[in-house]
Amino acid sequence: MGALGRISAAYTTSCSSASASVSSLPTTAPVLRPLTHTASLSTSAALLKRHKYPGARDNKDHSKHRGESAIRRTGTRWRLSMSDEPLPRPVPRDRLPAVETDPDHGLWDFFADRATVAATPEQDAQHGRSWSVEELRHKSWDDLHRLWWVCAKERNRIATSNWERNKSKLGFGEAEALGRDREVRATMRAIKHTLTERLYTWEDAVKLAENDPEVDLTGQGPAFVPRDYLEEGETAAAEGEQQVAEAAETAQNTQAAPAASLDPVTIPSPKSQAEAPRL
Amino acid sequence: MQPTRILQALRYRRLRLTTKDVNKGFYKGTRTGSMGRHTKHGGYIIDWKKVRTYVCPSLDGFKLTPFVTRNMQRTFGQYETKLGPKDPALYISRWKAENGLD
Repeated sequence: MGALGRISAAYTTSCSSASASVSSLPTTAPVLRPLTHTASLSTSAALLKRHKYPGARDNKDHSKHRGESAIRRTGTRWRLSMSDEPLPRPVPRDRLPAVETDPDHGLWDFFADRATVAATPEQDAQHGRSWSVEELRHKSWDDLHRLWWVCAKERNRIATSNWERNKSKLGFGEAEALGRDREVRATMRAIKHTLTERLYTWEDAVKLAENDPEVDLTGQGPAFVPRDYLEEGETAAAEGEQQVAEAAETAQNTQAAPAASLDPVTIPSPKSQAEAPRL
Repeated sequence: MQPTRILQALRYRRLRLTTKDVNKGFYKGTRTGSMGRHTKHGGYIIDWKKVRTYVCPSLDGFKLTPFVTRNMQRTFGQYETKLGPKDPALYISRWKAENGLD
């Protein structure tokens, strides 16, 4: 009888013993392994060890395949890694549970939308021009900070599209992506220009303010105490004049800013606040 | 670190400076700063106080995009002084008109 018969016999006995008691599982666990190891064919091998001196040849059976026969279906002499347990069946893909992802994960910002991996060249080509430095001079620090990050995320999206286009060999679109990226980088350069210029101007303004009698740089009192100011009635009149002047200027600038239907937040104010008359 | 004056005038000037052009101990770097320190055994210990962390501000309700519509001409400032937008007097007057606090 070969090894197969021993395997099935050991399996049935171990199954019955394992179901009998759970607590005896560790002791019966070795039984689960099929008992296929066999002794050498001759049990008198140990008795034939004649030479005991150091360096004497060992008494092992060096013929690993002794006793095996395909004709007699003897099987192998070593343990085989197989069992009677049924093999697991692969589950079809549609029956697998859906992979749960975080809908608010930050990595979603690397894609234009959730359905596609790369923007088409037509989508990439639809972009405006970059911001000019003059338009950014009227923005606050917070606005410029956030606009920088919007630019960074846009560049991430463009890079993702480039990577996917190269990886999947999607075809054309590199020129459009390059053009879009160039405009974003121009905007980022304008942001840095604006902030650097603002810092240097501030440093110069601090030096200038040391000699300004209206400005107190000691930090003890109010930083700015206007010397000559208008009373309330005069203020209202001055504001009225200023509003009239602003209305006139905006009327002039409507030609420059025809996008009145757009959100006014996205349009830089045409009138520099620095040029406004002091109250 | 720069080459000697005689070398600056020759064709050497057009070549980039490498660590082979200067004496021992010159570290060219990548202008990025270190993230830790070297150990005497050749290892490197990351100092998490030196590792840069960039925090994106909240972009909720922020409507600006990297682009401006092409229907709008690129605007350029008109300034009276020669310094233009870099005029500190203009800065102070704007500060007084807008803020005047800090």
